[in-house]
Amino acid sequence: MTVKELSEKCKFKTAALPDGDREIDGCYIGDLLSWVMGRAEADCVWITIMSNLNIIAVASLADVSCIILSEGVTVDDSILKLAEEKDVNILLSDKKTYETAVAVYENI
Amino acid sequence: MKELSLNILDIAMNSVKAKADTVWVTLTETADTFTMSIADNGCGMKKDFLKTVTDPFSTTRTTRKVGMGIPFLKLAAEQTGGSFEIESKHESEYPDSHGTVTTAVFNKDSIDFTPLGDIVSTVTTLIQGSPDIHWVFKHTLPEGEISLDTDELKSVLGDVPLDNTEVILWIKGYLEEAYSETV
Repeated sequence: MTVKELSEKCKFKTAALPDGDREIDGCYIGDLLSWVMGRAEADCVWITIMSNLNIIAVASLADVSCIILSEGVTVDDSILKLAEEKDVNILLSDKKTYETAVAVYENI
Repeated sequence: MKELSLNILDIAMNSVKAKADTVWVTLTETADTFTMSIADNGCGMKKDFLKTVTDPFSTTRTTRKVGMGIPFLKLAAEQTGGSFEIESKHESEYPDSHGTVTTAVFNKDSIDFTPLGDIVSTVTTLIQGSPDIHWVFKHTLPEGEISLDTDELKSVLGDVPLDNTEVILWIKGYLEEAYSETV
């Protein structure tokens, strides 16, 4: 399953998709960035409500396949621009974090 | 980070890397604010580099392209409605007064304020890891003050090194006692 396929199946919005063909393996949920940085595994989907600049760096370091911003969280254009630059995929979900995770679980 | 003491450890390690002789770790608390200041007399940063340190994609490390210590501290402070500031003088421009001061102010009333956590372990870890640095630790609370100056310890200890296990255990015990008497 690629990020692009997951996004279509779950009806997430794509905010930035510089690497839509990236394969997904697993899912991690967390909002404390330092915690996520050490624990999210490579290629997983990372679900969070944090939408500041630092999430791009954490996603890049942990090498996750994409960030899903849940609970209808929005994100600044400046951050999307950086995501494109750093090859970080960002999807948006209006569902609550738990329901977003369920949708990911049922589709990957 | 789950505890502010881990942020302090992280920022103080920057001072160690900057080859500081002296590092001042100053914590000042009022009823509703918590201010941490890490000051050193290390090599300092040039203006161009200083501008980039809060950017998560800059670092002094060569193994990875991002360094997160300062961005995380800035975020932690701003999440509480507080503030963050870093000032630095590079040794090339200020041969006699170089160094860096990192200051973060937190609002303790904010639900996103992270507790200080195990500050005693942080201070002892720093001293044990870099016993040749002059560490000046001071924590001022509304109830009183806790302080430790490793130069004062050295004058009493003479030739016994600061990273001697017994000395480290004594420092730990001293700080724990000071906290239990003050807080």
